[in-house]
Amino acid sequence: MGNDNDFKLLSKSLAELDENSVLRLSDALLKQQMMPLEIVQALAAGMEEVGRLYKEEEYALSELIYAGVIFKSAMAGIRPFLLRSDTVASGMIVMGTVKGDIHDLGKNIIIMLLECYGFKVIDLGVDVPKEKFVESVKESGAKLMGMSALLTTTLPEMKEVIRVLDDTGLRNQVQVMIGGAITSEKFRQEISADFYGKDAIEGIRIAKQVFNTVEHV
Amino acid sequence: MNASERIQAVVSGEMLDRIPLAPLLDHWAANYVGIPVYDLMTNAEKRIEAVLKTASAFRWDMTFLADTAIETLLKVGVPARLKMPGIDLPADVTHQFDESGFMQVTDYDLLESQGLIPFLMTIIERIYPDMTMERALTDLARVNEEITQQGKLLRSQGIEPAIGFVIPGPSFDYFSLARGVNEGLLDLRRHPEKMQKAGRRFCEEMLGLAVGSVAQNNIKRVFIGLSRSSPVFVSSRFFETMILPEIEYYVNGLIDAGITPLLHCDTDWTKFLPYFKRFPKWKCILELDGFTNISKAKELLGSHMAIMGDVPSTLTASGSREEVLLYCKGLIDKIGVNGGFILSTGCSIPVNAKKENIMAMTEAVEHWGWY
Repeated sequence: MGNDNDFKLLSKSLAELDENSVLRLSDALLKQQMMPLEIVQALAAGMEEVGRLYKEEEYALSELIYAGVIFKSAMAGIRPFLLRSDTVASGMIVMGTVKGDIHDLGKNIIIMLLECYGFKVIDLGVDVPKEKFVESVKESGAKLMGMSALLTTTLPEMKEVIRVLDDTGLRNQVQVMIGGAITSEKFRQEISADFYGKDAIEGIRIAKQVFNTVEHV
Repeated sequence: MNASERIQAVVSGEMLDRIPLAPLLDHWAANYVGIPVYDLMTNAEKRIEAVLKTASAFRWDMTFLADTAIETLLKVGVPARLKMPGIDLPADVTHQFDESGFMQVTDYDLLESQGLIPFLMTIIERIYPDMTMERALTDLARVNEEITQQGKLLRSQGIEPAIGFVIPGPSFDYFSLARGVNEGLLDLRRHPEKMQKAGRRFCEEMLGLAVGSVAQNNIKRVFIGLSRSSPVFVSSRFFETMILPEIEYYVNGLIDAGITPLLHCDTDWTKFLPYFKRFPKWKCILELDGFTNISKAKELLGSHMAIMGDVPSTLTASGSREEVLLYCKGLIDKIGVNGGFILSTGCSIPVNAKKENIMAMTEAVEHWGWY
């Protein structure tokens, strides 16, 4: 135990959504006093593979969510062994569903995955007024903010949030990503947002791009 | 051809004189006629008046009775807390749901052992503690009687009512709302047997309710909601084992009863379209919302079932009349070729759709839609 093959097997088990195998392997590696960060990196590699399979439509949201659940279970066992320097998240992201809209399905999925990838997420919830987005960006110093909406009636609110970010001089310090079934690349351009996340995996890619990193675990 | 004949012909795959027009109407009727959305959702008289006025003004062949905006049906049929416009939400918006997960794992056993009504009431009483089984059943009977009368009224005006019953979907669609989407999706892996057994009972009784309601209201089409069963949420493996058998059960059961299943597909169903070829030929309507590739649907299923859709909500809400005309012309030319096509909106007309854009759909059909 504890060689490259074990780490590869751990990655593979997560990619194949074998919950029991992931938990058993990560526990065994910990008991052999392997570097916990290496275990986490193997899990992250497994998540990468899950993301690839999702992109290729082999997997759907059910697999993404399950992978996130397995990852979090494994992390719960590993976290106490991580060094402080290992656990500092290097990306802070503010997320919320805009005012007038209480849909949170897509938002919650992307938040779960962002956390799996090591990002620190401030979840403002649903029906979030523009002032709350701005206040949270200001207080947290987040470099990325995500807005979600499902209703055509709430699309203008996204534009409003960006306008207020402009008015308060915060627009230069934060990049804005939008998502939700009715949003699009065309709409992103209309409201001058920085990114349109078609799905959760695209959202992860955007976060990695903004924080200029490959792994955030 | 009159509207009824036109709809019958398009569903049967026969040639017809013109592409039928049937947008999915619910809350928008309130905005069009100038009544509060709350009134449309709660007052049957105002609702049918608004539906009739809207469908007549836009010269539709078939209209929904704003079924998907009836408060009673939403409270009984959707296992999430209804937030009403004018009470919980601003007055002029659509309703929304608070999905807090009102169903527990043990409720699968309850459904399997005791059946649909005790199960529904268990869920409903958790969501709305003041709502009793007696009241829910009385309200449902009243709504079906209203739909019966409204269907007759519409037909007397030369407009075909779209559906006589709404099936919320395969049991997974219902369970994932009731459990919350994450828990519902995890149940597919952790409790598949419980889900399947409960799902079987759910479908059997839901089909019985659908057939019984249609026998009363004589509107021989039934809406089957297909949302969280889509390829966006589930992979082929779960679709084939847990979901497809239930859709097939509904489809065959309805067809056996002389009813046309209207498969209402939310989100992108492109990947699963080939499965629909197994359904009996020229007996179903496939309704798409703008996210499924409708050209692919035509290619795969255009000689197998009627296709309905799919003017996107963003287009009717934010686009121009010219853009809507152009989109509709594209549909008429490509999807309408050789029949089997009903021009409609992608899902419901959004509450903030522009009147001139909805009229553009009518203009498109009346100008380019003749065979």
